[in-house]
Amino acid sequence: MTYLVTDDSKLARLTLVKSLKTNLGEVEILQAKNGLEAVEIVKNKKPDIVFLDLTMPEMDGYEALPLMIEIHPKIKVVVVSADVQTQAKERVISLGAQLHIQKPINADKMHEILEII
Amino acid sequence: MKTYELTEDERDVLQELMNVAYGSASAVVADMLEAFASLSIPKINVMEVSKLLETFAELKGSSYFFSTQVFSGEFNGESAFFINEESAKNLAKHLELENDEDLDDAILELTNVLTSTLTTKLAGEMETAVSFSLPSISKVALDEIGDVETFKQYSQVIVINTELNFKDQQINGKIFILTKDESIQWLKTKLNTILEQLI
Repeated sequence: MTYLVTDDSKLARLTLVKSLKTNLGEVEILQAKNGLEAVEIVKNKKPDIVFLDLTMPEMDGYEALPLMIEIHPKIKVVVVSADVQTQAKERVISLGAQLHIQKPINADKMHEILEII
Repeated sequence: MKTYELTEDERDVLQELMNVAYGSASAVVADMLEAFASLSIPKINVMEVSKLLETFAELKGSSYFFSTQVFSGEFNGESAFFINEESAKNLAKHLELENDEDLDDAILELTNVLTSTLTTKLAGEMETAVSFSLPSISKVALDEIGDVETFKQYSQVIVINTELNFKDQQINGKIFILTKDESIQWLKTKLNTILEQLI
């Protein structure tokens, strides 16, 4: 199983990587700093699960999400965002995300996410 | 005067903490206004107040409603919310307000909810607590912003600059968190601790 963590913040990426490793041990975790990089990685590496931020420079999560699904229809996308407005949640689910989770994510929250997906 | 600067890592951590805090705060305000806010990436800068005042020259609109709220604790300072006259009118229209007094009251309440949620959440992420004074409001002409009492109390500030943006309602505001030297040093230590715990 390969994971892709996408966030423009180093702190957010480190937090996600740490919570994944706490739950799964040493797994392959790729990282991207924006939607553009993430789409490229999806194209080339076909990760199984993507953790995707929404507000990012270059290409945001809203734009990257449908592109990822188009490239790799079996991919599972968990949106991890500070934007907890109902409309934001509804929008990402309609675009094909499996889940919309509020930041920050700790190991316990990650455990719940992995159980669900 | 000692000049503080944030390293790239410190800036990244503060930006992310602010991003999370702002997400929660804007959701509360969005509920209050029954509208959808588009979020932007917060910009973090340490600068002298004189420089901050120079950046206000880039603002659009000739006069602004300017409301502030002091917060105290290990992390202390003042949060400020700017909304220009046009946005304020759109806010009044959206809320169906009838007079200027109601508009002042609405902006104060919006500031109170926005900045206290934002600062409380930000402080919570840094494992500290803050308490608040009542917010105050004034209407200032753009070329008189330098005379605002708030800015005379600070020399060097961390400016956390983000936007409140309700596109459909054409309501747009700017939020600043101003802190003094001792808070900047406390903040730098805390940001590094947070990062070290993850590496």
